[in-house]
Amino acid sequence: MNIIDVVILLIGVSLFASFIRFLKGPTMSDRAMALDFMSVVVVSLMVVLSFVFDRSIYLDVAMVYALIGFVGTVIIGRYLEGGL
Amino acid sequence: MATLVIITVLCVVLMVVAAWFAIRTSDLVSAVIGSSVVSLMASVLFLILHAPDVAMTEAAIGAGLSTFVFLIAIRKTERYEKDEEQ
Repeated sequence: MNIIDVVILLIGVSLFASFIRFLKGPTMSDRAMALDFMSVVVVSLMVVLSFVFDRSIYLDVAMVYALIGFVGTVIIGRYLEGGL
Repeated sequence: MATLVIITVLCVVLMVVAAWFAIRTSDLVSAVIGSSVVSLMASVLFLILHAPDVAMTEAAIGAGLSTFVFLIAIRKTERYEKDEEQ
C-alpha cells in the first residue's frame, strides 16, 4: 500500500466525519462550519489527485475552488448575521 | 487503483445523501447548504473523470453564484417552508 493511498483514505475519513456534522448539526452555524471544512478537505483532495494523475493543470481547479468556496462561506455568514 | 474507486463511491454516496437532505428539510438555508455540498462532490467527480474545465465551471457556478442567488431569494421571501397539505 502506497503512502498516497493512505493519504486519500484519511481524506475520505475526514470528509465523512464532517459530513456527519453537516447532517446532525442542530444550528445553522454548525452546517456552515461543516461546509467550510468540507471545502478545505476537498481542496486538499484535489491537490492529491493532481499528484496521482500527474497533471499540473488540475491544480488550477483546486485554486479556483479555494477562492470561490471562501466567498460562499462568507455569503452564508453574512446572511446569518443579517447583513446581506 | 482501488483507492480511487473507494473515494469515488464515497463521493457519490455523500452526494445522494446531501441531495436527499436538501429535498426533505423544511429550513431553506439548510437546503442551500445541502445543494452546495452536492456541487462540491460533483466537482470532485468531474476532476476524477478527467474533466478539469467542467470541474472549474461547476466550482464557480455551484459554490459561489447559486448560493448567492438562492440566499438573496430567501432573504426577499421567507426562510421556513410552510406546511401546505390540507
